[in-house]
Amino acid sequence: MATHPLTAEPDTVLAVDGLRKHFGPTVALRNAGLRLLPGEVHALVGENGSGKSTLVKILSGVHRPDVGSMEVGGRPFAPRMPAQALRAGIDTVFQEVLGVENRTVLDNLWLGADGLLRPVSRDAGRRAKAEKILTALLVTPPPLDIPFGALQLSDRQTCCITRSLLRDPKVLILDEATSALDYDTRTRLFSLLKERAAQGMSIVLITHRMDEIREIADRVTVLRSGETVATLDADWDHDEMIRLMTGGAHLVQDTVRVAADAADTAERPVVQRVRGSRLRPGGAPCDAVFRQGEIVGLAGLEGHGQDEFLRLLLGHGDTEGVVRIDGDREHRVTDPRRARDLGIAYVPRDRRGESILPWFSILDNFAIATAGQDVRRGLLSGRSAEKRFGHYVERLNIKYGRTSDAITTLSGGNQQKVVIARWLASQPKVLLLNDPTRGIDVGAKRDLYRLLRELSRLGLTVVMLSSEVDEHVELMDRVLVFREGSLAAELAHEELSRERLVDAFFGGAAVTA
Amino acid sequence: MSTTNHPALTPVPDPGPQTTATTAPRRSLRSLFARHTYLFALGLALALLVANLVNQPNFGATSQLANLAPLGIAAMASVPSIMSGRGGIDLSISPLMTLSALLYATQLHPIGLGGYVALPVLMVTGALVGTLTGLLIVVGRLQPIVVTLAMFFVLTGVDLKLAPSPTTVSGTWMANFAGSMGPVPGGLVALAIPVAVWLLITRLTTYGSLLRSVGGNDVTAFTSGVPVGAVRVLAYAMGGAMAAVGGLVLIGLASTAEAGTSSAYTLIAIAAVALGGIPLQGGGGGIANALAGAAAIYLLQSLLGVLQVSQTWLQVIYGALLISAVLFGAIAARELKAGR
Repeated sequence: MATHPLTAEPDTVLAVDGLRKHFGPTVALRNAGLRLLPGEVHALVGENGSGKSTLVKILSGVHRPDVGSMEVGGRPFAPRMPAQALRAGIDTVFQEVLGVENRTVLDNLWLGADGLLRPVSRDAGRRAKAEKILTALLVTPPPLDIPFGALQLSDRQTCCITRSLLRDPKVLILDEATSALDYDTRTRLFSLLKERAAQGMSIVLITHRMDEIREIADRVTVLRSGETVATLDADWDHDEMIRLMTGGAHLVQDTVRVAADAADTAERPVVQRVRGSRLRPGGAPCDAVFRQGEIVGLAGLEGHGQDEFLRLLLGHGDTEGVVRIDGDREHRVTDPRRARDLGIAYVPRDRRGESILPWFSILDNFAIATAGQDVRRGLLSGRSAEKRFGHYVERLNIKYGRTSDAITTLSGGNQQKVVIARWLASQPKVLLLNDPTRGIDVGAKRDLYRLLRELSRLGLTVVMLSSEVDEHVELMDRVLVFREGSLAAELAHEELSRERLVDAFFGGAAVTA
Repeated sequence: MSTTNHPALTPVPDPGPQTTATTAPRRSLRSLFARHTYLFALGLALALLVANLVNQPNFGATSQLANLAPLGIAAMASVPSIMSGRGGIDLSISPLMTLSALLYATQLHPIGLGGYVALPVLMVTGALVGTLTGLLIVVGRLQPIVVTLAMFFVLTGVDLKLAPSPTTVSGTWMANFAGSMGPVPGGLVALAIPVAVWLLITRLTTYGSLLRSVGGNDVTAFTSGVPVGAVRVLAYAMGGAMAAVGGLVLIGLASTAEAGTSSAYTLIAIAAVALGGIPLQGGGGGIANALAGAAAIYLLQSLLGVLQVSQTWLQVIYGALLISAVLFGAIAARELKAGR
């Protein structure tokens, strides 16, 4: 394993050494370093809480380090605000999709390119330049004069990346900036990035997807607990990387799939059924059954109907044929409220916007949906909630300080676990999850997989939409693949592989259902 | 990309099959209202104008424009700070107008700076006061509503100190604002000055685009390299400069300057802005909204006065009108979102 050199090579674009940063009592960075060469794609990996985002925010001028040195092109670099980092040629696309919704796409693409009180430039070249990059990424770019808010998530993220590419920076930092992109756009982005790198742009890529790193990164720097532990060359070994990130924790046994026995699950009672429902007006009708104790994956390229299907199970849309089966009684799932009453729980995708109450404590975030269980003599009992929460802390491996801390003090993975605990406390029969591992680290993912497996063994039916192929292969008993707005294929666990699944996304696999 | 895809962030119930034949014209009308947020207030103002003309045979344009001017200017001066977002609002516009009038009456006029020379002097003074307000908000990271409320009290106090009793200043150049300047009504000239300031700065420079972006999403603007703080400070400075003009019109109209007018336009200016369809969360609208809103309120006052409706009802009607305007704006905005 190669470690980063102690002295900067003469042609280093960006040299970072001994960065330290704390927020209150939390130490976010202990000793972070990075050497960036011209024209390289450099991946930055680490579990959540390893300090990647803090490092990026320091490089982009959002935060200032407590100690440490930074140099750009051999000159000291200490940006106090993003504008200064941009002037030095360091441009960051942040994890959060950032756009001004009420301004046009074009305005958003060139945001920040103008001074405060400069004459308005009627530069027609701007439109052409923007169109050129957007066309390279999206093939059919959205109209540039519609409001940014009218774009779908994937296009918004593409626009944020385009904004940075338009400025042609020396260093482009992509902080989880490809998570919302669909497969084709990501592929086109990567070829564009390779092109730019060949012209001398250095790219820092932060991603949770190993396949992306394998595909594009020339070198990889691994962060662990706020420290740079290694910089690896392109021929890195997967197991070694995992070991570096987790600090030697043994993960092999977890990667062995523990799917239920297929013959066994086929015998189990059906708990929810969809018959003849259409995901979209004019789409083909869908039929599916979900059995007790199964983990069923919903897969497909982004926007191919899996979202609509999950929402259907929850009681949105064409619910005519959606029923919850309890023994020999069938109940129609007419709306989300009815779904909840029938024991169907839902964990939304957008953690910040739809699931957590950011200004509430961890405990309140847990208890909010099931507070009725904590009523003692007509009053809410904190102790009761505490006790119920304690029940889940160990099983979910939730790491926190005190239950009275704000939920936002937790890492993304732990926030997600609290949300899942919230719904488990309502003792559902069917748990619907919408991409629950999006943006959370490997360790937290493993915990979640283990947890879902255990829950399914206890009889809970789990239906999980996931955008990650590996997740389906590792975790699911069965995967429903969606294509062009309808259910296209069903893969049983013994036929699941990356290749089969991706093949099915593109219409290759036969329908086995 | 072209397939229907619900944005992951906003789960809305399926809109179902859309029959475009019947809804298309209505949708386009509504989206017109959503895009041009001042149209509701403008339509209201025009209707009220007609009603006024019917009920008041001698509805003189010159005097009406002069009477409208102070409210119109107060509303316009409120616009930049509100547009700058993150709770931006300037409650100190009204006492700043009065300060401008009093500075003129007690300081500039006595030393012979009586004519239009006073105008730029006072506008710069207003801009400096606005800059101070903006700096307190931006550098101190304080709530705009609290800072400008404090400024409201401070300026009201300064006003009282400058002129404990009304000061008469008759026969000055400012009287032209109440009459005519050549063939042009003075009120129109008074209104045109803030409009010109606004258009020069927002249309000819990049500032207009930056102000809307900062108001729309300041985090995006900041991380994209926009000097967010400077944009905000400049917004308050612009408001201050505009307010100064309003004070001089007050002198023209009344031939006196008195501290008693300090709070006269505080709430009604914000009502005019809201009625005009400017979202108080920032980023949207423009000066046309403020003018349309102010005109509607002024003409309503005038009409109800002619019809001898009691003052009590006037307030209730303002409130009801404001709520209906906000509702209307919300419905139009929703239509724009749904009509993607």
